[in-house]
Amino acid sequence: MEALIEASLRLALPLLLAALGELIVEKGGVINIGTEGMMLCGAFAGFAVGAATGSATAGLAGACAASAAMGAVFAFFAVVRRSDQVVVGTAINLLSLGLTGLLARAFYQGAIPTGPTLADVAIPGLSAIPGIGRVLFQQNLLVYIAVGSTALLAFALGRTRPGLKLRAVGESARAADAQGVDVVRTRVVAIVSGSVLAGLAGASLSLAQSNTFTEGMTAGRGFIALTIVIFGRWRPVGVLMAALFFGAASALQHRLQARGAAVPYQFSLMLPYLLTLLVLAIASGRSVAPGDLGKVYSREVR
Amino acid sequence: MRPLPGVPAFVVDVVRSLLAVLAAALVAGAVIALLGYPPVEALRALLGGALGSGAALTATLLKFAPLLLTGLAVSLCFRCGVWNIGAEGQLYAGALLATILATKLMPSAPGWIAVPALVAASALGGALWASIAAALRAGRGVSEVISTILLNFIALQLVSLAVHGPLQEVSGAYPQSDALTAAFRLPAIGRLHMGIPLAVLLAGASSWLLFRTAIGFRMRAVGLSPTAARFAGIEPDRQLMSTLALAGAMAGIAGGVEVAGVTGRLFESLSPGYGYTAIAVALLARLHPLAVIPAAFLFAVLEAGGAAMQRGAGVPSVATDVLKGVVILLSIGMALGRQRSRGRETGALGAIGETV
Amino acid sequence: MSRDATGEPTRVSLQGIDKTFVPGRPVLRRVDFEIARAEIHALLGENGAGKSTLMNVLIGLIEPDAGSMRIDGRPVDFGHFAPSDAADAGIAMVHQHPTLVAAMTVEENMCFGDRRGGARFDPAAASSRLRTLVERYGLEVPIGGRVDTLSVGQRQRAEILRALDRGAKLLILDEPTAALTPGETEALFPALRRLRDEGCSIVFISHKLAEVEALADRVSVLRRGERVATLAVAELDARELGRLMLGRDLPGVARRVAPVAVEPRPVFCLRDVWTTGPRDGSSLEALELELRAGEIFGVAGIDGNGQRELEEMLAGVRPLSHGVIEVAGTPVEPGVTSLRSHGVSLLSGDRERAGLVAGFRLWENWALKCSRDGPPYFPNGLLAAVAARRDVGTAIERFAISPSDPDAEAGTLSGGNAQKLAVARELSGSPRVLVAVNPTRGLDVGSANFVHEQLLALRDRGGAVLLISTELDEILALSDRVGVLARGRLHGLSVGADRAEIGAAMLGGRAA
Repeated sequence: MEALIEASLRLALPLLLAALGELIVEKGGVINIGTEGMMLCGAFAGFAVGAATGSATAGLAGACAASAAMGAVFAFFAVVRRSDQVVVGTAINLLSLGLTGLLARAFYQGAIPTGPTLADVAIPGLSAIPGIGRVLFQQNLLVYIAVGSTALLAFALGRTRPGLKLRAVGESARAADAQGVDVVRTRVVAIVSGSVLAGLAGASLSLAQSNTFTEGMTAGRGFIALTIVIFGRWRPVGVLMAALFFGAASALQHRLQARGAAVPYQFSLMLPYLLTLLVLAIASGRSVAPGDLGKVYSREVR
Repeated sequence: MRPLPGVPAFVVDVVRSLLAVLAAALVAGAVIALLGYPPVEALRALLGGALGSGAALTATLLKFAPLLLTGLAVSLCFRCGVWNIGAEGQLYAGALLATILATKLMPSAPGWIAVPALVAASALGGALWASIAAALRAGRGVSEVISTILLNFIALQLVSLAVHGPLQEVSGAYPQSDALTAAFRLPAIGRLHMGIPLAVLLAGASSWLLFRTAIGFRMRAVGLSPTAARFAGIEPDRQLMSTLALAGAMAGIAGGVEVAGVTGRLFESLSPGYGYTAIAVALLARLHPLAVIPAAFLFAVLEAGGAAMQRGAGVPSVATDVLKGVVILLSIGMALGRQRSRGRETGALGAIGETV
Repeated sequence: MSRDATGEPTRVSLQGIDKTFVPGRPVLRRVDFEIARAEIHALLGENGAGKSTLMNVLIGLIEPDAGSMRIDGRPVDFGHFAPSDAADAGIAMVHQHPTLVAAMTVEENMCFGDRRGGARFDPAAASSRLRTLVERYGLEVPIGGRVDTLSVGQRQRAEILRALDRGAKLLILDEPTAALTPGETEALFPALRRLRDEGCSIVFISHKLAEVEALADRVSVLRRGERVATLAVAELDARELGRLMLGRDLPGVARRVAPVAVEPRPVFCLRDVWTTGPRDGSSLEALELELRAGEIFGVAGIDGNGQRELEEMLAGVRPLSHGVIEVAGTPVEPGVTSLRSHGVSLLSGDRERAGLVAGFRLWENWALKCSRDGPPYFPNGLLAAVAARRDVGTAIERFAISPSDPDAEAGTLSGGNAQKLAVARELSGSPRVLVAVNPTRGLDVGSANFVHEQLLALRDRGGAVLLISTELDEILALSDRVGVLARGRLHGLSVGADRAEIGAAMLGGRAA
């Protein structure tokens, strides 16, 4: 049981980080299809810096910087140049796949070294609780960052003015603009912060789940993050629950697989997508998606 | 960038697209040079590998057909305001249904019926797959952006499931289907199969449909202004359904053509992401079906030449992905203002999660 | 500190403001405009006179091409005057369609753009501040309510309160009573007077003379981008004001007084028609209407009383939940195609609702409403570009549409020319019935007159016109019979009903 919880958490971590990043961006009214690519950038930069310095923490910083740069590119085209967000996101994915692959081969010539691994940090006292203590309170830094970000985001969106501003921009850019909120700046900041979280999600793959980098190692997790945001109904705690649910589902699947169960593994890979499609199709009632999601805002168009 | 007075719009478009390609090549070349690779040699190897010999040109043309078909699928949809990111999934759905037909349903069909039936099956597979997204959008208000992405992954897993299970070759050696019988293989000259001229024909047909028929007229009206179209008696939902079905059929044929013209079997990594590259193809062609022909050829050169570049100049073939990404960014970055007139004020995700 | 003629210190003064969006068509020309401290200043003008542009300059949304502005005597640098700077200077605008974020509470809306105080948002503190404001000004708003659960009036009050909470010293109200019930209007005015008495300046944009007389201290009139007069409300003369606004006496359109040979049998009927609308009071209920050949039947009413829903139902965009549409005694399905095939045309003053696709060429727009397969423009499902080009060419010549190139994109047409194209298209093929919904909305006087002449010409040819308009003057000038649409019900009026009677019916419907 303990092992199952641990596996669930481990599998949920990159999903949670990436989905929180996507949530920030979407709350600001921008859809980032490029999360997958930003994760890849984070995974590669995290690994490369980590391997070069021997420090996983330095690797995290590298992941943040690389994904923030990608986020800036996305923001420039999608917000400043007002190009279509979906198309820009697709371009970011292709670009990241190419860049990381190219750099990996240029740097390592096919012999990818072993990188550092993010150490577990035990929280004194709590980690000594028998049973769940070690599972929940002796984890790597990224787990605490993810859980902390969830709480911080939940608080910020409801109880701080920057949070209100972000929501206002996402719900109605025009209304926010009329109140003197700088829509472009707010969105750029949201995109870059969200990208950093996506980058950390990528780093969790190359610095925590493994200590190496392989081309395309994100394997569609960036798109699952997109679905987790919908599943979590655009709420931080909802996103946390959805990520844990998907993590647990994969962990359970691995467990069954290991025991030689007859369920093909493709089902578990398909599950998040199928479930999201079902939720979208079945659920009804008032929309909870940000009102201006995916819309280009330009003051002249009125 | 404002169009220049006195210069026909399509000339401006062509110049812009060429500039985008040129600038993207410079960016990619700079990246390659920065990493210590010889950029000129890389370009030479790439072009040589794609166009330098009969075999090279053949390899390029084999990549050209699926890129052209999926590029058509994307441009038809984008032009009609349907944000179909799912050409990849539709391609796999077409390949799957075509393989089921050829290996399970009528494996001993005679030649004169086998090929037409296979093409029809692949079109049907892609159309049905795309219609799921259309139905979800029309019936439940689910954004096609999200649903087509989800359907891509589901299609991939379905194919994986099929070639590991019911469709796996009788010998059970590899996760792939049995080879198609000779009757189902597309007629070919050398390796150049009939799918290539078929794709070019379909590009012409798409252009004709879009600009010369009532159906295309209605599709364009909805794409430019859904509200005005509705008040002119056109039902956007019906146009959405037919556009997606049509696009799905094109992408599906791409899948069928791959199986029956190139690989002879269905397996998991049938497509190296044609459906995603198709977005770059369509945007570079500024969504015009005839312009998709040269755009698809250009990307086919990249796909085919990438491997040669790796062999000849040691530059990893993934460098072509960088080029694709930059081409997309520059094509749309330069098209500011033009895109706006395509009725995009509502946003691609106007209907996202409307019913969540 | 500058002082104006009345001796009060000036709150804001604009000098020589110029603004041009489209070269050759200036929107504002050398406009001087002053607002005194503690005054209610009404701003009058036709649609397109430049009122909104002038106000957008005041709130920092639009930078003028020339001119200067002083706030409380201090000059403003337009290059660095963003909406946030206007807000900091105490200038706030309450738009006709309130710009609150629907998915957030009133308190959240009050605070998100407020740059005073810290980064924390304390809902309880915000609620108590809101409660204080509600009590002080008598502007009732539910505490803690999400905006999308509020009525139109409540949203407007919430927006005024938000501006006051921000310390607004100059409040711009854009047609604040247009969407209000008489009761809500009555409650609003004392609150505005109290605000003025406390030193707040208010710019009140309105079309309604009675309201201006009841509320304003001074009136300024804009006409085609120029300020033509500023008067004290005491000097007000309704005729004079109308002349100032229009530049001449109310335009008269030549028309025969008596309808030509009206047939006794109606050509177009709505029988017991019901549809569901999105808002309270906008659903159509038991609509009965009979239109005869050779007459114009005018339907007056305030926006939001079912006009859009009626238009949408006829266009086939909104389902007809109950009832029958009859054309010459035959029941007909709603929808553009079906109505057209029975000789009924639909004309709207809104470009998109008129069925004009901005990205389509003129000839493509000409063919648009016949896009079902078949002649004349889609024989065998093929697009007959030659025929459409030829026919639109004829129309361009006849109606003097500019640009005259059939290959021009409709989006490049001015409002007047776009409407000419729409009118020409709807009148082609000599319809028996024309349903026109706000057919001159947003048009200049010349274009509006053109449209009016076409409607009258159709009537004189023996056609029937159903004119649904929120412009009472238009209804009175053109109609042979008049009805009023109020809260989704159609009230027929006696022949020769005057303004007062119509106004009462309009308001009667709105009263809760």
